[in-house]
Amino acid sequence: MEATDKVWEVFIQKKAGLAFKHAGSVRAFDKKMAIQNARDVYTRRSEGRAMWVVPTEAIVSVPLDNSDAFFDPADDKAYRHATFYEIPDGVKHL
Amino acid sequence: MKKINIENKEAKFLTRIADTSLILGQRNAELCSNGPFLEEDIAISNISLDLFGRAEEIYNIISKIEGGTHEADDYVFFRNEREFFNIKLVEQPNEDFAWTMARQFMHDVYAEFLYTQLLESKNDEIKGLAQKALKEIEYSLLHSRDWLYRLGLGTEESNARLQEAFDHLFKFVEEIFAFDDLDKEYLPNCGELQSQWNKEVNRVLSEINIERKEYEALSMRDYRDGFHSEHIGHLLSIMQYLPRAYPEAKW
Repeated sequence: MEATDKVWEVFIQKKAGLAFKHAGSVRAFDKKMAIQNARDVYTRRSEGRAMWVVPTEAIVSVPLDNSDAFFDPADDKAYRHATFYEIPDGVKHL
Repeated sequence: MKKINIENKEAKFLTRIADTSLILGQRNAELCSNGPFLEEDIAISNISLDLFGRAEEIYNIISKIEGGTHEADDYVFFRNEREFFNIKLVEQPNEDFAWTMARQFMHDVYAEFLYTQLLESKNDEIKGLAQKALKEIEYSLLHSRDWLYRLGLGTEESNARLQEAFDHLFKFVEEIFAFDDLDKEYLPNCGELQSQWNKEVNRVLSEINIERKEYEALSMRDYRDGFHSEHIGHLLSIMQYLPRAYPEAKW
């Protein structure tokens, strides 16, 4: 495609109430084409009921060379994980 | 070689609709792995699969009406040119992407109004099929119409190519609405289709700077009698090659 297109990230929600999950990316020239392309590429086997497309450039990510300081301090803090109590029956998708 | 006769009146009528869907499906399938870019390649292939699926369901209904003498695949692979009854519009080639989308749009507008009338069919299976097909057609129309706006209002070249595509394809429109007694029996309101089609097509064309030119009527005989443009033979030879060369092949 021409230089004026851009990459969009695609997020799909499988059922109402569930989180949107990253499915992949598509190239497109505008919002409408992005959502149509995403529909064609990622939902052709009824993968979802709702969809977001987001320009990749709008996503802020952690630079790789910072990732040690960014994530490591969490490693020895096991108490941050919700593993010390039992999940009641009937709670789904936690 | 098996000889395939379709005897029943309703089956004959349905063959026109099934063949139109099949042949357009085959044309779009030619672009599978040859699309202009990956996303559009998959979109066209999806539409192609919808068209094949629709055709198969109608051939199954035809097979049932005809007493099960032939299966869906037999209708597809073992009939010859003059035994196909698709509208000539859908056998026109993929000259470029503008042709593909103009052809798809002209077909989709026709299909939307046609299948809406089939919702009133006395045959429950056809009614059910029409309901399902209309959802697919609605999306396909959204897709093809969108591309017309992009091409018509895009660059000077995209507009010129789209104009050229329409100039060619409009020659194959007149016969679509030349309904015969058989059409009238199973589509009692078919008289409305032409004005509905013209209204929507003219509306879109007027918004995208495409002119609907007057053209000299071609002396082509009607698709309802099994007449075609020169393109159908090549299409069939590719589509039918494998099961004819290897009649025992299974898939």
